[in-house]
Amino acid sequence: MSENPQAPFYEMSFNVLAAWQAHSLSTSGSNGSNRVMPRRQLLADQSETDACSGNIAKHHHAALVAAYFAAEGSPLCPACRVGDGRRAAALLDRPEYGNLSFECIVCECALCDTHGFLVTAKNADSEMGTATRQKISKETLIDFSYALALPDRHAETSQLHTRNGASKEEGQMLMKIPARSGEYALCVRYQCAGIGADTEQWLLYVKDQAQREKRHRAILRTLRDTLVSPDGAQVATMLPHLTRLSGAIVVRTDVGRAPLYSALESNFVTCLQAMADETCQVYPFETIDAFYRLMNTFIATSVPALHPFWKISQPSNDTKEQRDDSGATATNNGAAVLPDVDSR
Amino acid sequence: MWIAADYHFPSTYSCRIPMSSANCASVMPTPGPATVRLALLRVGIELFGLAIVREELFPHLRAATVRIRPPERVAISQQLIRGYKWSEARHKRGPIQESIIVREMAHAAGSMTVFLQIQQDAEHRMRRLLQAVPYWGQSSSLTSCLGVRSAPPLLEECALPLDLLDDTAPVRPYFSCPVTEFRSNQLSWEDIVPGAKMPKTSALRCDIYVWPMVTEYRHGTQKLLVRAPFFPESAVSRC
Repeated sequence: MSENPQAPFYEMSFNVLAAWQAHSLSTSGSNGSNRVMPRRQLLADQSETDACSGNIAKHHHAALVAAYFAAEGSPLCPACRVGDGRRAAALLDRPEYGNLSFECIVCECALCDTHGFLVTAKNADSEMGTATRQKISKETLIDFSYALALPDRHAETSQLHTRNGASKEEGQMLMKIPARSGEYALCVRYQCAGIGADTEQWLLYVKDQAQREKRHRAILRTLRDTLVSPDGAQVATMLPHLTRLSGAIVVRTDVGRAPLYSALESNFVTCLQAMADETCQVYPFETIDAFYRLMNTFIATSVPALHPFWKISQPSNDTKEQRDDSGATATNNGAAVLPDVDSR
Repeated sequence: MWIAADYHFPSTYSCRIPMSSANCASVMPTPGPATVRLALLRVGIELFGLAIVREELFPHLRAATVRIRPPERVAISQQLIRGYKWSEARHKRGPIQESIIVREMAHAAGSMTVFLQIQQDAEHRMRRLLQAVPYWGQSSSLTSCLGVRSAPPLLEECALPLDLLDDTAPVRPYFSCPVTEFRSNQLSWEDIVPGAKMPKTSALRCDIYVWPMVTEYRHGTQKLLVRAPFFPESAVSRC
C-alpha cells in the first residue's frame, strides 16, 4: 500500500480464516439442562459445523469501540456511555432529549453513528399526552457474519466444570461446557464513508472531517483488536488460543462494494485478488503479525472517503439541496425510509 | 432485454418468510422479488442520489420482471439468539426483558442469480445497481456480486409465483412459501417511500411462490434444499 497519509476508504471488507483453540465464544444456551450447547450450523455440503454468531462479535466490538471513542474524545450519548443496548432509543426517557433528531444523535454519539440505532415511530396518544413521533434510524456501518468452522477442521471436547448455586442449600452444580477448536471463516464489512452521515439518503451531518477521521481510526483499532484478541462468551475462563489468522482485506476507494468471499472456499484469496481493480485493492496476509501491521498502516494512513454527493457542492448547500430533493425537513430525516419487508 | 447478476453468499443469511413471527422466524432459500427491488432502490440512492432514483430509475424498477434462480444447495438451521424486549409504555417501564428468539439461518453452495427484464436504455445504470447490492433485507445477510451479464432466465430453474405454474403440474415436492411483491407496476414513489405526512399504503402484496428446490435431507430442525428444475418443462409454459 502506498504511504499516502490521506488514502480515502469508501468501504472495507475483512475475509479471514481464524484458528481458535479451546474456546466457547458463542453458545446456544443450556436448554434448561446442565450442558451448555455449542452453536451448530448445517452447511450446504450436508456437513454440520461449529459456528459463532455475528451478534456476539458485534456486541463486543461495540463495547470496545465505545472505550476507544471515549479515549479519543469522540462524543457518546448518555445511553452509550453506560452501555445501554437501546442506544438512542434510551434517550426518550430523558426530558432534555425530548426533541430527538437524526442530526442530534449522529453528531452527539459516535457509537450510535457507527453501530446504528432505532427510535420507533409512535402515534399520538391523547390519554398520555404524547405527540406523533417519526421513526429515526440508522443502519450499522459494521456487519459481522457468522464465523463458520471449516467442516474438516474443527473438534469439540466436553469439559466438566463446577458451579456454585445461589445459596448454600443448592450446593455445587456440575456443568458440562464444550471446549471447541477449529479454523473459522469470518467476514466483516465496514462502510467507512457512512461515518457521520445518513446512509439512506446520503446526507452528511458530521461535516468536520477531523471528527470523522477520529471515529474511523477508533473503529479500525477495534476491528484490529477484535481479531487479534477474540472476545465473546465464557472468555473469563476459556479465553481462546489464537493460533492462526490469514486472509485478505479488501479496500474500495470509491463508491461501490468491497467484495466479500468466504474462507470456507480454499481459494478465497485468489478469487478476491481476481476482482482487484483501480478502486478495489486487495491486501492478503498470512500471519497474525502481518495482519496487525497492515491494520496499523490503515489506521495511520486512511481516512473515511467523502461520498461524491458531498464533494460536488459546498457542504452547507449540499445538505439543503438533497433535502429539497427528498421533500424532508431538516429535523425529519426519517421521513423517506424504505418500508420493512419480508426479509427483515 | 434480460440482464443477470450472480451473487455469492459469503456466510449465512436469513430472509424471513413474510407473516412468520419475528421471534420464531422461518426463512426462504433466497430473497423475494420485493426485497430485490427495495435493495436496488436503496443502492440507487447511494450511487445516483434520491432525485435520479425517484424520477428515472424507480419507473424501471417497479416495472421490471424479476426472476430469481436459487443457489444449487441451501442448508437451513435453526439458531437460538438472545433478544431484548423493552416497552415504552409507562406501566411496563422497567428493566429490559431478555428472551430467546429462534431464527433460521441459511447457508448456500453455488451462486444465486437475479434476472431483471428491463428496457435497453436503463441497462448501464441497472448493471451498476446490481453490482453494488451489499445485502438482502437485513444487514447480516451479506452478499457480494460476482458479475453481471446479459442472459435470459431458464424459467424451470427460477422461483415462480404459483399462478404462473401449470394447474396440473405437481408442486408438492418443491419448496413454497408466501413472498412479498410490489402490488402493481403503477405504484407511486410515495407508496414505496412514504413521506412524513403521507399515510402508509399497502404497497406490497403477498404471493405464493414455488422454488425449484426439493428437500434432500432433514434432521430435526435442519434441512437441506437442492435445486431441481421444474418438471415437466411445460409446467412453466404459461410464464
